[in-house]
Amino acid sequence: MTTLTVKDEDPYGHGIGGWLSHVGEVVFGIPDTYRRELKLHRRRTISLTVLVVLLVTYPVLNSAFLATFSRNVFPLPLPDDTVVTFMMIFGIMAIGLNIVAGFAGLLDLGYVAFYALGAYTAAFLASSHWDSISIVFLANVTPGFPGIHLPFWIIVPLAILVAGTFGALLGAPTLRLRGDYLAIVTLGFGEIVPVVFRNLADVTFDFHIGPITIAAQHLNLTGGPLGINPIDAPFLPFANLTFNASAGYAPVYLGLFLLLIAILFARNLERSRIGRAWMAIREDELAAEMMGVNTLRTKLLAFALGASFAGVAGSLQASYLGATTSDFFTFSTSILVLIMVILGGIGNIWGVLLGAIALVYVDKTFLPYVGQELQQIAPGLPNPAQFNFLFFGLILVAMMRFRPEGFLPNRQRAAEFAGAHTQADVEAKVDEIVAVDAVAEVEAAIEADPSIAVDNLGPPPGQAEASGDARAPETIDEERDL
Amino acid sequence: MSLGEPGGQPAPNTLVPAAPPGHDLLVWSRAVTKRFGGLVAVNSVDFDIPRGSIVSLIGPNGAGKTTFFNMITGFYTPTSGEIVFDGRPIVFKQRNRLKSLRPHEVAALGIGRTFQNIRLFGTMTALDNVRLGANVHLKSRWWDAALRTPGMLREEAENRESAMALLRLVNLEDRAHAWARSLPYGDQRRLEIARALATRPKLLLLDEPTAGMNASETRDMTSFIRRLRSELNLTVLLIEHDMRVVMDISDRVTVLDYGTVIAEGTPDEVRRNPKVIEAYLGRGAADT
Repeated sequence: MTTLTVKDEDPYGHGIGGWLSHVGEVVFGIPDTYRRELKLHRRRTISLTVLVVLLVTYPVLNSAFLATFSRNVFPLPLPDDTVVTFMMIFGIMAIGLNIVAGFAGLLDLGYVAFYALGAYTAAFLASSHWDSISIVFLANVTPGFPGIHLPFWIIVPLAILVAGTFGALLGAPTLRLRGDYLAIVTLGFGEIVPVVFRNLADVTFDFHIGPITIAAQHLNLTGGPLGINPIDAPFLPFANLTFNASAGYAPVYLGLFLLLIAILFARNLERSRIGRAWMAIREDELAAEMMGVNTLRTKLLAFALGASFAGVAGSLQASYLGATTSDFFTFSTSILVLIMVILGGIGNIWGVLLGAIALVYVDKTFLPYVGQELQQIAPGLPNPAQFNFLFFGLILVAMMRFRPEGFLPNRQRAAEFAGAHTQADVEAKVDEIVAVDAVAEVEAAIEADPSIAVDNLGPPPGQAEASGDARAPETIDEERDL
Repeated sequence: MSLGEPGGQPAPNTLVPAAPPGHDLLVWSRAVTKRFGGLVAVNSVDFDIPRGSIVSLIGPNGAGKTTFFNMITGFYTPTSGEIVFDGRPIVFKQRNRLKSLRPHEVAALGIGRTFQNIRLFGTMTALDNVRLGANVHLKSRWWDAALRTPGMLREEAENRESAMALLRLVNLEDRAHAWARSLPYGDQRRLEIARALATRPKLLLLDEPTAGMNASETRDMTSFIRRLRSELNLTVLLIEHDMRVVMDISDRVTVLDYGTVIAEGTPDEVRRNPKVIEAYLGRGAADT
């Protein structure tokens, strides 16, 4: 018996196999894609290539000779490894906040809470904080060492889960709120989380639930103001690499790796039905809902996914620095990330990334350098590094005045700011005016000859006046809502 | 009043027992009332839409047309009454309180709509506007989107194809990548219909589709609505102020005034109904 094999004409395949082959195609297609892009958008491709090569080789070049070079020759200081690592961390956060604020248009002023949750996830699961127990799993410590020690590679997914869950928990009751109200609730959440971490250092409780008694004396849950340290650094077993603050440029590449994944995910989400739903909600929430978008769930998804990016950033920060305290997670950090997003170009992944890089540079390299120079010239002057938010504020004001859409604007946002006075807009306006005139004409005609009225309906003048008061509320409602 | 009942008797102001609506009725509503505070915007309206028909809802400004529209789409919950769409209740009792399906759930049941003042997603492309309309029918989840799984890519390709087909239907294929807000007014109206069609509706609600159009554009729109009915087997509910359009394409016309149905019937019947003339022109006009 012969069986006919039908060639599968479906280009996408099925299941994991289909996905892997698709990923393979994309990866092996990179040279072709690159050649095509080079042909189509020559300038953009070349400048992007230069940028990527610079970015990737920068840490190595910097530690090899650039740092010395810049110190002696270049007027502006170059960021060192720590600063570049923080650029990556804040880049991940900015991309996450961009999902919430840029794509879905929800103002989140408490984004730092999820950053803190990520950091404390790492602190709880990779330190000697719980010193009465010992769980060591695939970590770079000797078995039997007190505390829970999980490897960084497990902590990252857990931090995603924790931050995402809290994002959903915060979002579920609050996302029915709009605009200002949502901002205030998130602001509160952003204040609560660090305060909780600061104050749960000495917990004594005694619960009696029926026959069950739960009690604790002076339980140190979060380390209080001192925080938790040391935290295990990320460790790559086979290469025997430790990614801590004294490891030079290695952690930069770990940050870059996580950042690339973040970019990829955010970009994929943007170009999917979910990204379209987010955009539609941002444009016109009511119309989106009428078109079948479950707005509440879609906004919740934006909140939870955005939060999970901060979870990654937090766990990387804590593991990299080897310590975490609630002082890292102040309201100003939320604002800093928000400024990065606005400055870079809200809604545009590359823009917010640029915003993150620029602001971390100003904050951690440029201002301290200026302060240092100032101290030498005029020791009495205050250090500008202590007034960093003053400068961010000034930058923001200048941006809003001269380029409100950000460095690299999202196409759509740019148009919103420009008002898009295209020919079509003007035509639409003219049509509106013509329509109004037409109604007036019909009204005049009816007044002259009422018998034509049923065929040319406009609101008859007498009727409209007589019933105007009684019906006003609904008319207003119609205008406002639909 | 239902089409089954003869004559134009005003409906009783009580809940009609929930009889299973006839299979030929797509929308069946009884004693639908909506109060805003002290104002009764819609007062005990019975309104049916037979499958496959073009039905118009007319009335002077503020008669409650759009309010009724909004109750069908789940945007407002009626104060009392029943609305059944395609055998599924849109309004139902839960813990003794009247609840309404949420708008997106109604959209998923098969009601697509356009808006009186166009509400497109202005800075999304025409194509993306239509693709968004199909959102209800897409199955891929966020992890599919993040990982670009084969199922998601296939779905996106299909969605794109059908969106392009809809743009072709409304003659906007060559403007697929233009922003919705950059399109001329008439194109925007048609794009809004295409977006509504992407939800694969059984019932299409058009809120003043020819508002602000000149005579020839209006004629095009009228024939387009007819085409939709015949080619896509749609049922259409129209709110319209242009009486020529209403009388031209409607199978049935219902007239609302002060929130109540004052007349219902074929366009000719309605045109001759003294109550209608009175409502539009005031008392006295009907006698002359």
